[in-house]
Amino acid sequence: MKAVILAAGEGKRLRPFTETMPKVMLPVSNKPVLEYVFDAVKKSGIDDIIVVVGYKKEVIMEHFKDYEGVNISYVFQEKQLGTAHALLQTKKLIKEDFIVISGDNIIDQATILKLINDKSDYSILIKEHPQPSKYGVVTIDKENLTEIVEKPREEFGKFISTGIYKLPSSIFKVLESLTSQGIYDLSSVIQSIVEKGKTVHTIVADLWMDIVYPWDLIKINDAMIKGISGSVNGVIEKGVIMKGPVFVGKDTTIYSGCYIVGPVVIGESCEIGPNACIFPSTTIGNNSVIHPFSEIRNSLLMNDVHIDSSSKIDYSVIGRGSNIGGNFSNITGKATIEIEKEYKKLEKIGAMIGEDCNIGSHVVVEPGVIVGRRCKIEPIIKISKNISSKSKVM
Amino acid sequence: MDCLKRLEYRGYDSAGIAVIDKKLKVFKEVGGISNLKEKTPSIKGSIGIGHTRWATHGGVTQENAHPHTCCKKKISLIHNGIIENFKSLKENLEKKGHKFTSQTDTEVIAHLIEDEYKDNFEDAVIKALNKIKGSYAIVAVNSEEPDKIIGARKESPLVIGVGDNENFIASDIPALLKYTNRVIFLDDGELCVVCKNSVKVTNLDKKTQNKSIEIIDWDFKDAEKSGFPHFMLKEIFDQPDSIHQAFRGRISEIEESISLPEKVEKTLSEDYDSIYIIACGTSFYAGMAGKYLIEQITGIPVFVELSSEYRYFGNKKESSLVIAITQSGETADTLAALKEAKNSGCSTLVVTNVIGSTATRLSDSYILTQSGPEIGVAATKTFTSQIIILFLLALKISSLKCKKGSDEIYDSILQLKEIPRVVRYILDHSNQILEIANIIKDSSSVFFIGRGVNYPLSLEGALKLKEISYIHAEGFAAGELKHGPFALLTKKTPVVAIATKDHTYEKIIANIGEIKARGPQVIAIAEDDDTEIEKHADFILRFPSDSSLLSCIPITVILQLLAYYIADLRNCPIDKPRNLAKSVTVE
Repeated sequence: MKAVILAAGEGKRLRPFTETMPKVMLPVSNKPVLEYVFDAVKKSGIDDIIVVVGYKKEVIMEHFKDYEGVNISYVFQEKQLGTAHALLQTKKLIKEDFIVISGDNIIDQATILKLINDKSDYSILIKEHPQPSKYGVVTIDKENLTEIVEKPREEFGKFISTGIYKLPSSIFKVLESLTSQGIYDLSSVIQSIVEKGKTVHTIVADLWMDIVYPWDLIKINDAMIKGISGSVNGVIEKGVIMKGPVFVGKDTTIYSGCYIVGPVVIGESCEIGPNACIFPSTTIGNNSVIHPFSEIRNSLLMNDVHIDSSSKIDYSVIGRGSNIGGNFSNITGKATIEIEKEYKKLEKIGAMIGEDCNIGSHVVVEPGVIVGRRCKIEPIIKISKNISSKSKVM
Repeated sequence: MDCLKRLEYRGYDSAGIAVIDKKLKVFKEVGGISNLKEKTPSIKGSIGIGHTRWATHGGVTQENAHPHTCCKKKISLIHNGIIENFKSLKENLEKKGHKFTSQTDTEVIAHLIEDEYKDNFEDAVIKALNKIKGSYAIVAVNSEEPDKIIGARKESPLVIGVGDNENFIASDIPALLKYTNRVIFLDDGELCVVCKNSVKVTNLDKKTQNKSIEIIDWDFKDAEKSGFPHFMLKEIFDQPDSIHQAFRGRISEIEESISLPEKVEKTLSEDYDSIYIIACGTSFYAGMAGKYLIEQITGIPVFVELSSEYRYFGNKKESSLVIAITQSGETADTLAALKEAKNSGCSTLVVTNVIGSTATRLSDSYILTQSGPEIGVAATKTFTSQIIILFLLALKISSLKCKKGSDEIYDSILQLKEIPRVVRYILDHSNQILEIANIIKDSSSVFFIGRGVNYPLSLEGALKLKEISYIHAEGFAAGELKHGPFALLTKKTPVVAIATKDHTYEKIIANIGEIKARGPQVIAIAEDDDTEIEKHADFILRFPSDSSLLSCIPITVILQLLAYYIADLRNCPIDKPRNLAKSVTVE
């Protein structure tokens, strides 16, 4: 069986982090989200993966050129019109039943196996969700799908569509006719199939998470990092204390006096310390440097990040290549954040700082603030609202 | 065929293959590998040789394409290099009745082996090689002994790929990577007999040589384009990573130190009063940029010479350190110059991208640029990595000779770490470069000027433009323009001026004024906070300021993109420009 992975979208709600990479390539404990999907698909025994790429396709293709154990083919979707349109692009490569998964979903191999082995022609993975109204909500009768409604105004069910299906190759005829009528999303295509009297079997997914907003990175990082096993490939100086599972990449040096409590993932060629503290659910990307007396907890630091001394980072995301001055700190707490004209309330959140920022020393960032890419912030400033990319704050 | 395709960057005016399937079958065509592939029927046979040619002797014709065969069509041979005494050998063979079908020096070797062949192929090859003067890497098959391929080298590269139940011979590593990453590098004067399950290496006196197998940690998939339209663009966009690779593991921010391979540090700590950098082509320009960096950081005088000149005319004094720069480690001119330097007692150090290459074995020590394979014929990421390596060498020399305190080293390390970010900024703004490319693309001539370290960048900018877009381009030291080249300026010759805010900034602004007075459009490359430049230049391409000595890196990336976009707009075959080859292994 072949698997189609949809990875063409940009992920506007994840800006600024998606300004230079598609959202499926955002790293979670030092591995792009899409690689977790690849791994789960591969482990379920599938050896042909078709990836629909579009926005910043080079980043995906460059990363997976070394990926082993499956055949990977790429199909290019020039305009990101919708999931049904994306799937239609793979028509020529598919002759039999197949599964389709969105590249920004975290899913386990056991769930994929349940889907592959399902006897029905059409099957859909569903999941119970606390806020169903932002997804496609499904109604079910005897395990079979009766209706799927995208982002309903009123709540009428707790199960949502994960957007993961097993489908027969005959679906392409339906896709062709519906996309020609301007219907581009897969949920509507499935709804029309149900209306035609076909049986769509529902299966409840064990593990399923998707990534929509920047703070989802912290949540998913926290979930995925719990599965790591500790291993040390770099140099650990005398006087370093490590508890719990800690992964240290090759060519990394942890200097004396550091206190690290796992689960923690530290990438390759980093320099940490002396006397830095790193607490659970923290990922530090490759080539990063953490100077003395800094404290980092429950945060995701991407590659090439520089944190100067005596800084405090908590419940935060720091984008690739950002340079954080000494005595920086973010305040963690409640926040209401506006993204693409939607307001989201969060109970506990720190700062989200985009790629290649230069932040001066003694800067303080309030809860839930999103700083864009390539911003420059002068020393001793309090940042209390979002800063758009390429801004200078003096 | 697939392997040949991977080596196409080395030359591509004609190509051919020979396969033994009971009888010897030869197919060859003028043009690229895809042309050969189209015209060749599907072939069987478990042993064969192939070649892609970059003409030196004889024009580009089907007859002159390799492989060449002997009169009886039993021995077939491919060759890289130049046979100096081929005329006299050919006359002798013709007297003995051998009939030649091509003008190449290679065909002579095939007939020579046939002439020596009695019952032992290996002996015949050795006897033939002993009569040849010149440089060669040859690979030959004989349908009388259909289980073996014989290879030999003298001053041209040859590597053996060791597989499972299969073995390979090739002139460069990328051809092999799909099949194996275990290779044996053949040395000068060595010959190998490769069968399905065995590899034997001897010298020309048949004495067995002990060879070690090296593991190449490049992935063959590295050589694919990852969705970019050309390798050159992919390699330009690789630079934030390749620059990281160049200093990775060699600098420590916390310890404020630079650590290079032990042998390199030993070479650098020796006594020398001057440094000679020898190189060809783009590496030569990297060397020139290196001169400014090393002199400014260490105060030691640096002389940059072309390998082909240094070899014969260079001042090879014992008290000098010689740094040779060669991407492939196989550039024939640079290898010859390196040998001369070593024989004269100079300390030698090589900057290269290929572990195990001939240059690394000839020199006292070597340092790798760690750029991964570069496939585009126009060098891009290896150029910037070479400059980074020269910067590291300069810092190391100054710290070894106590010319700089650790505080200055620390500042330099921070500057170095800033570079990938600055390069990402340039790549991010590539649309602006595309706009300028649209303005220049129909010019018949373009000039590049700069002062100090920007002078070699002007040369490199011009070289990139001419080699891939076929537009006439020249680089000049900005001060030199008025001493002659001014005569060439017209309204239709755009000038690219590199203006960094150093102590010559006023001067370059004056130069731009002089140029403007004669009509050309001026495209300035300037720092992003430079407002003065707007009053003088017609168009401006910007890079982030305060990147100090290393501003040469972002400027180079701008020049690379400019050349790339112009060539692309003109529909040029960017990865395979006419008449050029990637590693030039002839002198």
